[in-house]
Amino acid sequence: MGAGLIGIHSEGTVRLSDEDIVRSGSLSSPEGIEAMYDRYGALAYTVALRILNDEGAAEDVVQESFLSIWRRSTTFDASKGSLRAWLSIVVRNRAIDRLRGARTRERYDVPVELTGAPSTLGDPWTEVAAELTSRRVRAALDALPVEQRQTLELAYYGGYSQNEIASVMRVPLGTVKGRVRIALEKLRGLLAQEQEVEWQSR
Amino acid sequence: MAEPLSCSRAEELLALAAVGAVDLDDSTELDRHLAGCHDCRIVARQNAAVVSLLPVALEPAQPPERLRRAIMARIYAEADGGSASRSALRRLLDRIPASRPLTAVGAAAAAALVGLVVWMNTGGRSPAVAPAERFTVAGTTAQPAASGTLTYDPSTAQSVLTVRGLAAPSSSPGAVYEVWLVPASGPPVAAAFITQQPASGTWTAVIDGRVTDYRMLAATVEPAGGSPGPTGTEVFSADLSRS
Repeated sequence: MGAGLIGIHSEGTVRLSDEDIVRSGSLSSPEGIEAMYDRYGALAYTVALRILNDEGAAEDVVQESFLSIWRRSTTFDASKGSLRAWLSIVVRNRAIDRLRGARTRERYDVPVELTGAPSTLGDPWTEVAAELTSRRVRAALDALPVEQRQTLELAYYGGYSQNEIASVMRVPLGTVKGRVRIALEKLRGLLAQEQEVEWQSR
Repeated sequence: MAEPLSCSRAEELLALAAVGAVDLDDSTELDRHLAGCHDCRIVARQNAAVVSLLPVALEPAQPPERLRRAIMARIYAEADGGSASRSALRRLLDRIPASRPLTAVGAAAAAALVGLVVWMNTGGRSPAVAPAERFTVAGTTAQPAASGTLTYDPSTAQSVLTVRGLAAPSSSPGAVYEVWLVPASGPPVAAAFITQQPASGTWTAVIDGRVTDYRMLAATVEPAGGSPGPTGTEVFSADLSRS
């Protein structure tokens, strides 16, 4: 008989944190993508399903989103953006494209470095935002006037442009702009109060 | 020349942009303003943080397990340079010496393996199929850079072994890496030869049988044509026990 096959060298199962996942090169590895899916796959599927209201289509969109992330992983700089926010944008945009027919209109995408980085810019609110629970976020949304909440939903989950929203809601374009701006300001305020974060004035 | 964008107008556009409702016509002005306005960049970041929370408020929906399998099967296949492709498997199978008393795969098993690969790559939508199991492969002191994965499909009782960072055997001309399955008691069982894919440099093998019936998988350097039992240096291994 031969040399002893003794000793277990297996590394075992490694659970990756968000920091591990986004560490340089991790999104380039299947293990990194797998950890990202384990952490955010349900969120991605929930977003896609909300927009498309079709399980098969939602599965397709989530699969396409993770594959696109895997294939372009080198373009994500963890020091500048939030992984969860970036993934949400990728999934949301793909779902909207599928819902409304592959970029029926050109879209402006917020630069990924402005998707909510941690405290590198001295903005504590974006840090605590990551810790907010679904209950608190739902409560804040419920506290918005119904027309502001509907405007947000038409834009974010429906993929409507500002002009389309104005047409659907039968209000002037300026009203749409104001509703979105005020809604986001209110949400920021409500959620900051929840976390007792002192607001930095400009 | 058009007037530069004011912060007040920029904030309106930034709110629309955060929810994906701003038109591309406004984007050039907005980008130019953001490049020069620290305060508005802060607003953009805060808006993005708020909007990123909208999905958190949704009632969570659980994706089916097949979705995870489908995604990871494609990613692992791409990571291996497509080594799970039909032609690569054919080359792999052709390298197994015909004289081996235990062949890792016969013709029927080869067809089943191709089926396994096709199933993995098409997302396998049968809800009754048990999920694939993965075991981590690690190199020994002889090959410390080696690492990989053994993916076992219970529905077909077949596995795909992929290893990276493994140097070619150099102990003797024609030396090979032979893969063994080690039972809880008794001698190791020869399972396969692992060979290197030219395109990706990744080493792969397909293994027939229920690997989970064994305690451990390991590979050793053996002379050309392999050995009936392990004789050479162990180069990598995987713990197959479920704990």
